[in-house]
Amino acid sequence: MVYKVKLDVFEGPFDLLVYLIENAEMSIYDIQISEITKQYMDYIEDMQKRDIVLAGEFMILAATLIEIKSKMLLPRNRPEDLEGEIEDPRSELVEKLIEYKQYKNIAEYLKMQEEINSRIYVKPKEDLSVYTREPDEFINLDLIQFIKAFDIFLRRRKRIEEVKNNYTRIKRQEMSMETKIEQLKRFLTGRRRIKFRDLLVGVKSEYNVILTFVSLLELIRLKSVRVEQKTNFGEISIIVNDDIDTQQVEGA
Amino acid sequence: MISKKTIKSAFESMMFVWGEPLDVKVAADVFNIDWKEAYDYFKELQEEYESEGRGIRIREIDKSFQFCTYIENDEYIQRLCTPVKEKRLTQSALEVLAIIAYKQPVTKGEIESIRGIKCDRVIEGLLKKNLIEEVGRGTGIGRPILYGTTKLFLEKFGFRDIKELPDIEDITNIVEEAEETDTEQISLEI
Repeated sequence: MVYKVKLDVFEGPFDLLVYLIENAEMSIYDIQISEITKQYMDYIEDMQKRDIVLAGEFMILAATLIEIKSKMLLPRNRPEDLEGEIEDPRSELVEKLIEYKQYKNIAEYLKMQEEINSRIYVKPKEDLSVYTREPDEFINLDLIQFIKAFDIFLRRRKRIEEVKNNYTRIKRQEMSMETKIEQLKRFLTGRRRIKFRDLLVGVKSEYNVILTFVSLLELIRLKSVRVEQKTNFGEISIIVNDDIDTQQVEGA
Repeated sequence: MISKKTIKSAFESMMFVWGEPLDVKVAADVFNIDWKEAYDYFKELQEEYESEGRGIRIREIDKSFQFCTYIENDEYIQRLCTPVKEKRLTQSALEVLAIIAYKQPVTKGEIESIRGIKCDRVIEGLLKKNLIEEVGRGTGIGRPILYGTTKLFLEKFGFRDIKELPDIEDITNIVEEAEETDTEQISLEI
């Protein structure tokens, strides 16, 4: 009775070749290339018939086998070769196969070790945060509550976005710097000394404070006024020049 | 001066709390003793557990020590409960791991030339399982990534350190011997 064992999956072309060689009970050092090539090609053909996509690497080895086979057919006993050692066309492949077999054995060994070791149990590292002085804080919420809260957040954002898409905020037109300078000039004419603070009486918005300050800087540039500040962040005193009402605002 | 007895007993408690392999250096720093002294205490503890035949043993992994169950008790543990068995590695994963373990640091190209087939996905899987890691870059064209095994690899496969891996030449014998004992056992049952 003949048992035909066929494994459908090989880890790679070397895996298949090693299997074929061992199955044929050949020595790896003396591979009957034509026999093995035939078996290898049969296998590939068989796989293709069954619509199994073989990796390109299987084809590369097929080509290598055929190349070796054809080299073996060439007469090798040419007189000039008799002196030196004739290289066996199989030797490179044999070397590779032996190396591969070695690692296949190691893989087998590792599998055994894995098996043995799986019989030993250890404790996973426990959550040590309870032992530390400042344990991590957790929000005391269950998942449902958390989902609800997040859902409300998302909906509110969506509503706000809808409103934003349909409406535009219209801004009150702010006073321009030129107007402010004119205003300041009128206010300062006839005065000698005044504190910056006094210019800000009744000024509420941040914009207006900045506008007043920038306008003052412009007046300094125009030499309409001089300023003094005794200490850092202290009161700014404004000294008004006499010709303040005669100067023109540039670029107005 | 803290007595040796106290330190050893403390190491025992520390290993218990830590669960994972406890680095000898970390343990030594707690008592401000030198590494060798701490290592010897761990070794003594290990021997004590062994000679008393305890159900808990101490194992050494990469200069760290860890409590674990006595291997022969696995059957009883399984009667008590069914511990989740981790999925075994595939044949291709084992082959790649074998190459990396013995040739590290090694590039993907070297691995592929030995196996004769592309290994991208297998390497990715092993990286994800934390059994291998990138250990640097090679000097060749494109400065390829070099791979090596991790501490977890030692732990999962029961090696004290990477030097404990048997010689490649001895492996064939080990594997064959194991297979022989397997068949013996089977024939006894028949």
